Amino acid sequence: MSDFMLISRRSVLLAGAGAALTTVTRPWQVHADSTREMRIAAAPGEAFLVGGSNSKTDVLGYDGRVPGPTLRLKQGEPVRIIVENKLNQDTTVHWHGIRVPNAMDGVPGLTQPPIKPGESFTYEFTPPDAGTFWYHPHANSLQQLGRGLAGALVVEAREPYPVDREILWMISDWRLRPAAQIADGFGNSMEAAMSGRVGNTVTINGTLPRNESVRPGERIRLRLINSALARMMALRFEGHHPVIVAIDGQACDPHEPDEGRLLLGPAMRIDVVLDMVGEPGKRYRVLDDFYDELAYTLVELAYDEKPVARAAPLGAIASVPPNPLPQPDLANAERHELALQGGMMSGMMMGGNGMMNGGMMNGGMMGKGMMNGGMIGMMGGMGDAPWSINGMSMTGDGQADMPPLLTLKRDRSYVLTLRNETAWWHPMHLHGHSFLIAGRNGKPNPRREWSDTVLIPPKQSVDIAFVADNPGNWMLHCHVMDHQMAGLMTVLRVA
Amino acid sequence: MRMTTKIATLLAAIALPGPALADAIPATLYKNPQCGCCENYAAYLRQNGFDVEVKPSNDLAEISSQAGVPAEYEGCHTAFIEGYVVDGHVPIKAIEKLLKERPAIAGITLPGMPMGSPGMGDDPTKSFTVYAVTKDGAKPTAYSYE
Repeated sequence: MSDFMLISRRSVLLAGAGAALTTVTRPWQVHADSTREMRIAAAPGEAFLVGGSNSKTDVLGYDGRVPGPTLRLKQGEPVRIIVENKLNQDTTVHWHGIRVPNAMDGVPGLTQPPIKPGESFTYEFTPPDAGTFWYHPHANSLQQLGRGLAGALVVEAREPYPVDREILWMISDWRLRPAAQIADGFGNSMEAAMSGRVGNTVTINGTLPRNESVRPGERIRLRLINSALARMMALRFEGHHPVIVAIDGQACDPHEPDEGRLLLGPAMRIDVVLDMVGEPGKRYRVLDDFYDELAYTLVELAYDEKPVARAAPLGAIASVPPNPLPQPDLANAERHELALQGGMMSGMMMGGNGMMNGGMMNGGMMGKGMMNGGMIGMMGGMGDAPWSINGMSMTGDGQADMPPLLTLKRDRSYVLTLRNETAWWHPMHLHGHSFLIAGRNGKPNPRREWSDTVLIPPKQSVDIAFVADNPGNWMLHCHVMDHQMAGLMTVLRVA
Repeated sequence: MRMTTKIATLLAAIALPGPALADAIPATLYKNPQCGCCENYAAYLRQNGFDVEVKPSNDLAEISSQAGVPAEYEGCHTAFIEGYVVDGHVPIKAIEKLLKERPAIAGITLPGMPMGSPGMGDDPTKSFTVYAVTKDGAKPTAYSYE
């Protein structure tokens, strides 16, 4: 196939017939129209997830790698990313957290036709916000993300941020069998109605982590990305005080996390500044203790002997410059409530004999007559989705005919209360917008925190506020991939 | 038979409050770290005289699949008792039958989380089909009706 054939119809249309031939170039080339261009290919590959040359894992990855190449874009500068599909199945790319035009959002059916095997699609957008983002498929998501298709996307601000250096940890997990191969069994219906497919092997940047080498006295910006299918993380830095400076790419007032734990649900990102206050030659553990009785050491900070030479002492940790986000008018915002429903044990938390009376599954399940069959019925054919939003289950990765749950007026402010009525945690992701976390459990949020993926604990609620300034059909879904596939998804239309 | 005696002891233990008997049969129960109903089932086994060790795991699907339970017959937790897999909210009578008869199977399962089963409401009027599973991947067959 010639290079020309790989260009999507769209890019031909956008670039114009004359320019089409020149769009196939090396990555990073800057064109006469000043648009940077790069290419990535979704392709099968092999990765050394568990280290050691004898234990290769078959993966799917961008450019065949896990994780895919870290894409570094510049805030406010247009980019053209040509995605080739070298898989044997359809794919798309979603630029998670970037406020892109709807047609560039990468949801199959809803915002674009899927990229067929052997074809390519050209994504063009200008990232309005600097920060830590990531990219991943939105097609056959459980398998494609679960087998490795994901990469970090860093949008650099115009001015450098004052630290000695930057580290990026893309943390993921894998369900590996003894020969280091990824276990089949994606979409297990029991897991789908519980915590999703949590893996048994956690990697940083695609390999089993051992050490992160640091120098005494350094100040480091650490970009954390949770790219796991379902694993929640609660990171603790032994002997250190990480300061959160950005959440989901968006600046916040620098603060230490509650109880020293960095809570990172799937698809969430946190930027912290770490002052390396440990002793030369010593080691300090980074622990993840999210799951009761399953705490483990993620990695160790290994200190060099030689401290950083510094002319002047370090000042206070600087705020990250804020991005140009439209500020919602909370007083005059239109309000809606979205109930997250379903899953195992939803009624068990109701106390009393709620469980006896059939409260195990509520909401959408009851609405669909699942009460009598209970789980047996569900196991029997999975005819009904275990999860729903306001009684409606949208399943899969996205389709053309998904009716919007709400139609939002363009440029109007909205507050959506996301009420988690289930017994499970849900990182809820809104496409096309960043939102202010205006409140939790009915109380105003004392901090100014923006996000695109907010983690909602069982039986709690979060108020998200935003200006609906980006027209189109946008997904709102849980980023525990099993939950999304099994009904915890809806569409908001901005028109 | 020794086993019968043991089971009789176990049954007697139901009425006895307090710690499990010294000769209680050990059971290891793997459960999702966030699932509460599995704790109810562990308590049910303890009430029936088993010495239950609960182990939270995110790898349940693999554990039960390796033990011979097909995905569509899985319960929400997986126990191992005297070399047999006991998956899901299996009523005690089926376990007693298993330990008495000692069939050449991998174990037994009660698929899903049926309402009214032990640890899921304990409704004595409800009946359940417990399935026998084997290691060879054959389709499970009904083992008992409880």
